[in-house]
Amino acid sequence: MAGARGILWLAGAALRADRRGAAVNAAAACVGAAALVLFLALGLGVGAAARRLFPADARLVEVVPARVSLGGVLGGGRLDDDAVGRLRALPGAAAAWPRLPLGVPVSASEPAGGLGGRWPSGLALQLPIVGVDPALVEEDVAPGAFADPPPGAPIPTVLARRLVEVYDRTLAPAWNLRRLPPGVSLVGVELPVRVGHSVVAGASEARVEPERLRLAGLSDRVPLYAVAVPLETVRRLHREYGKGDAAYGQVTVLAARPEDVPALAAAARRMGFAVDEGERATAERVALIVKVTTGALVLLAVAMCALAALAIAQALSASVRGRVRELAVLQALGAAPADVRRIVLAEGAAIGLAGGLAGALVARGLAALGDAAAARLLADLPFRPESFFLFPPWLLALGVAVPALAAIAGALGPAAAAARVDPARTLS
Amino acid sequence: MIRLRGVKKCFRDGAREVPVLRGVDLDVAPGELVAIVGPSGSGKSTLLHVAGALDRDFEGEAVVAGTSLAGLGEAARAELRNRAIGFVFQAFNLLPTLSALENVMLPGVLRRAGPGGGIGEVRARARDALQRVGLGDRGGAPPARLSGGERQRVALARALLSRPAVLLADEPTGNLDASSGADVIRLFVELARDGVSVLVVTHEERVSDAATRVLHLLDGRLA
Ligand SMILES: Nc1ncnc2c1ncn2[C@@H]1O[C@H](COP(=O)(O)OP(=O)(O)OP(=O)(O)O)[C@@H](O)[C@H]1O
Ligand SMILES: [Mg+2]
Repeated sequence: MAGARGILWLAGAALRADRRGAAVNAAAACVGAAALVLFLALGLGVGAAARRLFPADARLVEVVPARVSLGGVLGGGRLDDDAVGRLRALPGAAAAWPRLPLGVPVSASEPAGGLGGRWPSGLALQLPIVGVDPALVEEDVAPGAFADPPPGAPIPTVLARRLVEVYDRTLAPAWNLRRLPPGVSLVGVELPVRVGHSVVAGASEARVEPERLRLAGLSDRVPLYAVAVPLETVRRLHREYGKGDAAYGQVTVLAARPEDVPALAAAARRMGFAVDEGERATAERVALIVKVTTGALVLLAVAMCALAALAIAQALSASVRGRVRELAVLQALGAAPADVRRIVLAEGAAIGLAGGLAGALVARGLAALGDAAAARLLADLPFRPESFFLFPPWLLALGVAVPALAAIAGALGPAAAAARVDPARTLS
Repeated sequence: MIRLRGVKKCFRDGAREVPVLRGVDLDVAPGELVAIVGPSGSGKSTLLHVAGALDRDFEGEAVVAGTSLAGLGEAARAELRNRAIGFVFQAFNLLPTLSALENVMLPGVLRRAGPGGGIGEVRARARDALQRVGLGDRGGAPPARLSGGERQRVALARALLSRPAVLLADEPTGNLDASSGADVIRLFVELARDGVSVLVVTHEERVSDAATRVLHLLDGRLA
């Protein structure tokens, strides 16, 4: 039996002898590998982008008042402190954080300090404000930075992380405002507002006070189109403006484990509340669409690899038929039938490996081109990811391994034919 | 050495068994150059294939270079051919896509890697072997650019690379002109003098004249 180096030497010599045929077959494997790597990278990249777009935390259950509430009759259905306490006490619940929408209008008519730009004259924006439990955003703000402020101090706020994207790509260009330089920290930016003032005629309060909102952090846990302030601040403003004690608009229940979510949702429904599945349902639907599409494309790529394997099988069996005499000579010189088989398998593997390596490179190149085109054509699309493709190392390894294994599979038949060459008969 | 006792070999022709060798006894000692002559179709090549461990479907006893061929597996027979047996054919049988030097390297390349088995060392030994047959400067040439006599000397260098104990040649001068044939015959005589057992199938008198013994294959038996 020959050693591995000898087998590779002989396989290399055979491939060099038919460079063009080897290149054609490697190109077929390259196309399959490139498709496989590109499609999988696209699926991974788009999946990651979708998760960023819908950052549904798998452990959060959003409890809202039932639209038509039987609970009202049965004594439930109102999201008050008692309800929050009962939600928090449910088995599997780790925490429950209420949200209280501010019943006092707040408007802004100047740009935020430091962001400059030309604020369209006369434009006043109504700001929807919601009070949230500081514990909800404790991971997203500096400790103690999100609490009802003393008189004269700015009100700390938290914005949805995604809002920054929307501002940058949509609002800023539309209103001629400055974009946010990438990577800059917005924390500390202050926005002058008028509490009690409404852009709707006649809806303003009798008392209008100037105030400042100060950004304390960005979070995925606050609503997209609202400014989150400490719950206590909303309660204080309600007292100051003589608003009654309104019920919470929503309670976020944190499950101890993702598996507890269904039971928690069911329990909340039994208590007479509804569960807002909107965000999570969308996230799951998008993830499913990405998975199914990726799966279909990967199947197509695998089919292309299989076609490449067929082409390699075809070419190698023709090559073996044309080399019967050479293979018999090799046997006379000391090759066992198993050696002859391994030589042909090594030829197939080398073609598949070369094609796979080239394919992985081609896929990376195409992905770079695709991203460059997207950057040009979709410059102002919110949530456009830096790259639509993700190339983890395992993907590149897979892109090389699949065509190589496919090629080896294609070489099995020709290799067996080569091993059946009878030197005594061929050489007489 | 080669030792055959009562070797019988039949080929199947449809349902019919055609006997080719009907009990061949043969001894070739180290240092002997034995020539086998006989009419076309008498079974000379078949006999060489049995002695060369290329054919395993035969009856009788065969010992080559100290190894009995009976019951030897494919891998063991390949290893025996690689280590102890050199072949030379009438049609040269050089691999056309390899250079002369690479052709000579083949037995070394096929040997299981061991000490002295590196490709570089095989190449160096192949150069020596080409030198020995007088083609030290033609190693880079593809077989197509060599004359018939040069090709057969390359084939001989290839057969000698592993320093085999046994050299088997099937009509080695059949395609060569007189002077090229004489070169090859001279190399055979030198090898036998160095202790190799040389068995040559031929129908040329210039070969049988150089042999220590000439045997006739007739009706499946040697005489
Ligand atoms: N693989 C085979 N199958 C069937 N018959 C075969 C086979 N090989 C050889 N024969 C037959 O066996 C007989 C001997 O063949 P062999 O090649 O040994 O003859 P030879 O003496 O070498 O002839 P030549 O001098 O023409 O080379 C011939 O009749 C041939 O037809
Ligand atoms: Mg013959």
